[in-house]
Amino acid sequence: MKIFVVDNGGQWTHREWRVLRDLGVETKIIPNTTPLKEIEKENVDGLVLSGGAARIGWESARLGEIGEYLNHAKIPIIGLCVGHQFMALHFGGKAGPSTVPEFGKTKVTVKRDSPIFKGFPKTFIAWESHNDEIKELPDEFEILASSENCLIQAIHHKEKPFYGLQYHPEVEDTEFGYEIFKNFIEICKKYKSEK
Amino acid sequence: MFDAEKFVKEETEKLKEKLTDKAMIACSGGVDSTVAAVLAKKAIGNNLVAVYVDTGMMRKNETEEVRKMFENLGLNFKIINASEDFLTALENVTEPEEKRKIIGERFIRVFEEEAKKDGVKYLIQGTIAPDWIESGGGERDTIKSHHNVGGLPEDIGFEIVEPLRDVYKDEVRKVARLLGVESKERQPFPGPGLAVRIVGDITKEKVEVVREANAIMEGIIEKSADEGKIEKPWQYFATLLSSKTVGVHGDLRNYVYIVSIRAVQSLDGMSASYSKIPHEVLEKISIEITNKLGDKVNRVVYDITNKPPGTIEFE
Repeated sequence: MKIFVVDNGGQWTHREWRVLRDLGVETKIIPNTTPLKEIEKENVDGLVLSGGAARIGWESARLGEIGEYLNHAKIPIIGLCVGHQFMALHFGGKAGPSTVPEFGKTKVTVKRDSPIFKGFPKTFIAWESHNDEIKELPDEFEILASSENCLIQAIHHKEKPFYGLQYHPEVEDTEFGYEIFKNFIEICKKYKSEK
Repeated sequence: MFDAEKFVKEETEKLKEKLTDKAMIACSGGVDSTVAAVLAKKAIGNNLVAVYVDTGMMRKNETEEVRKMFENLGLNFKIINASEDFLTALENVTEPEEKRKIIGERFIRVFEEEAKKDGVKYLIQGTIAPDWIESGGGERDTIKSHHNVGGLPEDIGFEIVEPLRDVYKDEVRKVARLLGVESKERQPFPGPGLAVRIVGDITKEKVEVVREANAIMEGIIEKSADEGKIEKPWQYFATLLSSKTVGVHGDLRNYVYIVSIRAVQSLDGMSASYSKIPHEVLEKISIEITNKLGDKVNRVVYDITNKPPGTIEFE
């Protein structure tokens, strides 16, 4: 299993790499400017789009080639924080400054079953760090989880293997963080076997 | 999972290959740089010299404890007292990033001078992942310039080697336990030392106050943990704030500083939650600080901020 972490400049990008490595996945951090062709050459089974400091409303150019990945990569992708916001924006939704930004500890409630939340309890503690959020979800996506101050905490694409999380499963303080990555690995495995 | 044994083997090999000449290790005595020192010693033996800089911003008795540890490790070492230099360079500096950059530069100048004396070609540092992550660069924002990364000036006269760049504190500790490093469980202490535990301008007097406050905090926390009253926090320390408040001492008004005490639980320092220390222990710390340092501190507050939004250290 080979999953790369696309670096959007987050404080926790390297943590994503570490969690994947701890789970026995072959992984590498790549800049978000890496051309898709180069990623394809490496036979990658999945991508994690990291968080980052870019403000989604006016700095999405700082996110490099990740739109290309969403358009053409034939593998599962999970976007975290700004990666999640970008996913909605890219497919025609809206993202911008949060009504109430969240920093640190938050309670997240799962609203809908999805392979990414397999085995999860209804609510859990998650660590947040965001100034922006998804404001409007494109039709192809569904909300999977919410928190008190942020409605769109988790999303998935109805047809493609794309997932987004506003919170940070890669940090140690988030509950069931490793489970998100385990579930994503399962999603990648299933997708690969069905290809 | 991180495999400490494999890591030691691989990194020692890499260092053997890389270090073809004399090398110096910048060693504070903390777990990161001491692990790096032991790895380098395994690789190049007596071609290594450890340099510890007393910045004047160290904790109580720290320099002497580190000296003993170096002796036990059988390292070639030098202890450089640069306290006056650091203090002079930091005079009237209040901005945290400026402090960190000045300290980073002072450190490197000391190492440069020592490197010249000894004809050293490599400087080994115990930089770990959070150091370069938080220092920023490219798309990554600078949260804090760590003294061993973002604080480095552009013109340095030797090559820098960092064997621990991709590991976190918990992983370094695994290596330290394997190697039997004495400071394996020592709590993190920032490279800039007490300079970033004094909010705002630094004076000799403030350094003394915060040093004593840290000694009290460490003493009571460690004792309480030993007695099973609390779980030992990942990090615990005292910070001298820049604002003064009113107190009453023996029917007299006094107007002196606030000390903020902080204790956090964490794995790797990249996220943290504040420690739920019982009030009885907090009260003991408050009483001891305000009594021992009564003419300088009349109020103690407990920091209940997680990371994020706060960072662990104040600056």
